[in-house]
Amino acid sequence: MAGQTEFERELAGLLVTSLNLSLDPGAIVPDAPLFREGLGLDSIDMLEIALAVSRQYGVELRADDPDNQTIFSSLRSLAAVIAARRTGA
Amino acid sequence: MAAHWFDQKERGSALLLRVMRAVALAAGHRAASLLLWPITLYYYVTAGGGRVALAHFYQALGQPATTRVLFRHYLTFAHTILDRVYLLARRADAPSLHVRGFEAVQECLDRGQGCVLLGAHLGSFEAARAAGLRHEGLKMQIIMEERVSRNLNRVLGALDPGAGDTTVGLGGPSALLRVRDTIAEGGLVGIMGDRITPTETGYVADFLGRSSLFPLAPLRLAASLRAPVFFFAALYRRSIAGLPYYEVVFEPLAVAAPEGPARRAWLQDLGARYVGCLQRYCRMAPNNWFNFYDFWSTHTLGCLRARASGKPVRGGDTGAVDRADVAERRRA
Repeated sequence: MAGQTEFERELAGLLVTSLNLSLDPGAIVPDAPLFREGLGLDSIDMLEIALAVSRQYGVELRADDPDNQTIFSSLRSLAAVIAARRTGA
Repeated sequence: MAAHWFDQKERGSALLLRVMRAVALAAGHRAASLLLWPITLYYYVTAGGGRVALAHFYQALGQPATTRVLFRHYLTFAHTILDRVYLLARRADAPSLHVRGFEAVQECLDRGQGCVLLGAHLGSFEAARAAGLRHEGLKMQIIMEERVSRNLNRVLGALDPGAGDTTVGLGGPSALLRVRDTIAEGGLVGIMGDRITPTETGYVADFLGRSSLFPLAPLRLAASLRAPVFFFAALYRRSIAGLPYYEVVFEPLAVAAPEGPARRAWLQDLGARYVGCLQRYCRMAPNNWFNFYDFWSTHTLGCLRARASGKPVRGGDTGAVDRADVAERRRA
């Protein structure tokens, strides 16, 4: 419905569980902003997402990455970065 | 009425502060301390709302807010700022630090376990940092709102360029990842847990006999870092001989946060323990309370009232400790 790819759907599920959100993972629009005006997440949620991603996919989101602003901007961008950096996938 | 702390303007220009820094270093601690009397008198007389807010704090404590008490309070604040000069410059005339309760923190650090220190605008964070600097190689980060006191921090920061690395402002995804790294490397992360911004989600706790609103974000951050949490404060005290020193206290508040549904109870427990601890030290050293705005402001009370009547409040449910408010915001 929201036009998620299979991996985006999986990642949306991880977001919902790790942040304890009361919404359907399928309802997260891949291109919509995750933070503030979008899903209303904040920087602490972002930290929680980074931890969940590192646990689930072994992808470390680094503090000195100049692209952090873009990476965390939407479900789609986050999924793209994880898919690209994923080890053993 | 005092403006909310977030809207208060910094009093003290960079030039004036630079002059005071030079005088402090040249004159030494004793002589410079005497200069604090006329300076404090000026700030005290022109403080207006800050003085009223402070009087409310003493009323909550059940202590008379006499001119003498209030002036002494401002003088204590001035002393802690002056002391920052000597602490940052690592001068021999800096007041001594008496550390209490650090053993439990040290135990964690020895295991390579990073810790979260939850503090307040109570006493001097500079003295707390100085206590940490005694431990060579210890990584430390203190998270603070950098917009307030920008001039002061810039002028004092020049005394110890390395100290600037230990303060991080919030905002932007990279800042908290850096904080995560500090914990992972077995360091200490200091967070202030007492001031709430008008748009933030808060939790309600009884503080000095009054229903009060505290920010939820510091507790959530502590939870996300999955590290043991300790209360910390560096209180300005005077010995029987009248010599100033800092009593740097640490108290365990919580073990590392659990995963899943148990998180909610952990947050509630941490909030209750934190406010209880804060209250105890406020009673012990009230003149170290450096929130010069009305802690029980009309906005705060408005939120509490709205909550009691079940109306939605800006920034989410004030009592929320789970993330239902996020979903609500999304639907709105």
